[in-house]
Amino acid sequence: MFTRDISLEDCILDLIDNSIDGLIKSRNLDISSSLLNGKNRASKTSKLPTIKVSYSDTEFTIADECGGIPLQDALDDAFNFGHAAGESSGSLGVYGIGLKRAIFKIGELFEIKSHTTKDGFSIDLDVKKWAQKDSNLKDWTIPLTPKGGVLPNKAGTVITIRRLRPEVAMLIKAGGMDERLRRTVSKTYGLFLDRFVRIKLNGTAVEPFHIPIGESAEVTPAHDEFQDGDVRVRLFASLAARGPNQEWRGDVAGWYALCNGRIVVAADKTDLTGWGTIPSESGFLPQFHSGKFRGFIGVAFFESTNPLALPWTTTKRGLNRESPVYLRARNRMRGIARPIITFLDSLYKAEAPEETTGRNIADAVKATNLSTIAAQPQSTFSVTPRGRTSARATVSIQFEADRRDVDRVRKHIKHFKWGANKIGSYTFEHYLKTECPE
Amino acid sequence: MNAPTESYLKVHYELRPAKQVERRMLIDAFQLLSLSGFSIKDYQYTGMGSFYFIDFSLFHRWLGFKKMLSVEYSNKIRKRVQFNKPFDFIEIKIAPIGDVIPTLSPDLKHALWLDYDGILNESHLADISLATTYLSVGSILLITVDIEPPTDTDDPKDWRNYFVEEIGLPSSLRASQFAESKLPARNIDAISRAISEGILGRPEVRFLPLFNFIYSDGHLMLTVGGMIGTGTERRKIVKGPIAKALYYRGDWKAEPCRISVPRLTRKERQFLDSKMPCGENWKPKEFELDAESVAAYREIYRFCPAYAEFLL
Repeated sequence: MFTRDISLEDCILDLIDNSIDGLIKSRNLDISSSLLNGKNRASKTSKLPTIKVSYSDTEFTIADECGGIPLQDALDDAFNFGHAAGESSGSLGVYGIGLKRAIFKIGELFEIKSHTTKDGFSIDLDVKKWAQKDSNLKDWTIPLTPKGGVLPNKAGTVITIRRLRPEVAMLIKAGGMDERLRRTVSKTYGLFLDRFVRIKLNGTAVEPFHIPIGESAEVTPAHDEFQDGDVRVRLFASLAARGPNQEWRGDVAGWYALCNGRIVVAADKTDLTGWGTIPSESGFLPQFHSGKFRGFIGVAFFESTNPLALPWTTTKRGLNRESPVYLRARNRMRGIARPIITFLDSLYKAEAPEETTGRNIADAVKATNLSTIAAQPQSTFSVTPRGRTSARATVSIQFEADRRDVDRVRKHIKHFKWGANKIGSYTFEHYLKTECPE
Repeated sequence: MNAPTESYLKVHYELRPAKQVERRMLIDAFQLLSLSGFSIKDYQYTGMGSFYFIDFSLFHRWLGFKKMLSVEYSNKIRKRVQFNKPFDFIEIKIAPIGDVIPTLSPDLKHALWLDYDGILNESHLADISLATTYLSVGSILLITVDIEPPTDTDDPKDWRNYFVEEIGLPSSLRASQFAESKLPARNIDAISRAISEGILGRPEVRFLPLFNFIYSDGHLMLTVGGMIGTGTERRKIVKGPIAKALYYRGDWKAEPCRISVPRLTRKERQFLDSKMPCGENWKPKEFELDAESVAAYREIYRFCPAYAEFLL
């Protein structure tokens, strides 16, 4: 079943989506306004709901403090095959199959305990035995036991999966998954982590990934917005902030696409996000050039209360190329990217006199938050060099004067001890004041 | 990205009679569109005026454009462009046109003329796509390109390779479809694809073709144009006077409007003018002029410029 390890990652992300959806529902979070409204990240010690994912080659557990699954939702949707009318109301768990698919794919024995403040339920299922019963439609629902509600700080869900499928156990045992999963979770939930939720993998908290978009006094990022049916699209693009070694990192450059805050495509440099496919220097956008264009960062933010309208694929790890809203967005992504490409191009032109200025401008770019750019009015990318051609605002004046003339001035102003230098600046200031008023 | 060619160094823009006929036809067309309720004088005209600004002068004088933007790629002639702008209100931007298109205000209607002097390349197609992505409903887009064979060789196979590899036309096309006589159609194919690509995701609008000119003042040039519109704009166009104009091309698959300026003396021209519009098979008896030239002149005499030397 798991021919590629990426599928296991997808399953785990599905389970995390489910937890985050629970959080959004139970706290009534307005994702579209919250994610880009500048809400600061919480300090390391402050209390945030935590999703703990633990796994070994014998057991997989995900335990969250995200408000729990309401009993009615479990009966209607989460543990019923086939969609109930009006479901898919989550922000991330658009495809209600996610939770079930994930559980079935990971192992054969599972146990779920979920409590909201109002009610709760538990499930204990041996998938093999359950699948053997197939005499009527009711056999397709998963039997659950209703339970009572709990205090808000206890509301959450714990899913434990045992008797792991051999391929899952093998992947976990082989190692390597931990680091990969950590990187994926860090990127995928970069905007949620430390702001709304913490995620721990085998006990260690995942650090959020920051999209390294930059700005400075001289560099204004591009910001474009439009509404397409149920979907609000916000596009941002700019130069990247430099990495720790004061260099642009090719691996994080490119376009990021987010659906309701979840990164579905990261650092894309392909035609999916409008880059050229042939290595000519021209094109809708040129082909991504790993040297020249590693200073480019673009972010496409798709938001909707109707997740089915978002342009993500069913795995939520890609964009649907045929989606009309995405096609429209992609054309505008190309548009706002063009001036940045022109700027980056200019840095590498041997004959360009501005080369040094351009590089200085690029060096001065600092990391910024998407919320900071989102708060600024819509604009195209622009670079406005400030005072780099004459770094000094002052100039020194020196001239020869007849000693007798200097003495005459000294006597006239009755400052007998002033030196020639002082006399010079005094007369200059006097002229400036009396003849050149501001 | 490819730098545009510097044709201003090769051709004196004021001495291109066929181009001038085209400009005058466009003025005529814009006037007819005004009659159909398109308030052309309130449009923003964006062109690539170089330092001649001929289109800017004509369009301001005859159509009353009050917002005009000239985009120049080359920083080398920045001062010259600024010095030669004919009216103070004209805004100048020194940048690739593709960087400027996304900045065109969505609150205005635009007439944007992508007046390239080189052969079609991928960068042009990108600009065309951007234009159809960004231009507001009711805006007019004009595209001019050189449609001479794209390589120095005489072999349509090479021309096919250029169009397939550089321009992205389907590789299923055969070399015979790139015969010299078919190059205008292949250029139109590529431009149409770029337009369609750019307009994707705007289901409410279509590109409504208006013009398809072919002319030559040395090199064979193609100008195609049309409007970004909905059903409302389409109805205004097809029911309005422009649809009856001889240069109107509502379908780019139809035969283009060929602008051919016969070489006539001043005296011959005055004589011909006195007989215009002439009948189908009329020919002057007073001097030798073939029927083809007469027919060509009949189509353009209203728009044909007269050149004279004068002392400033």
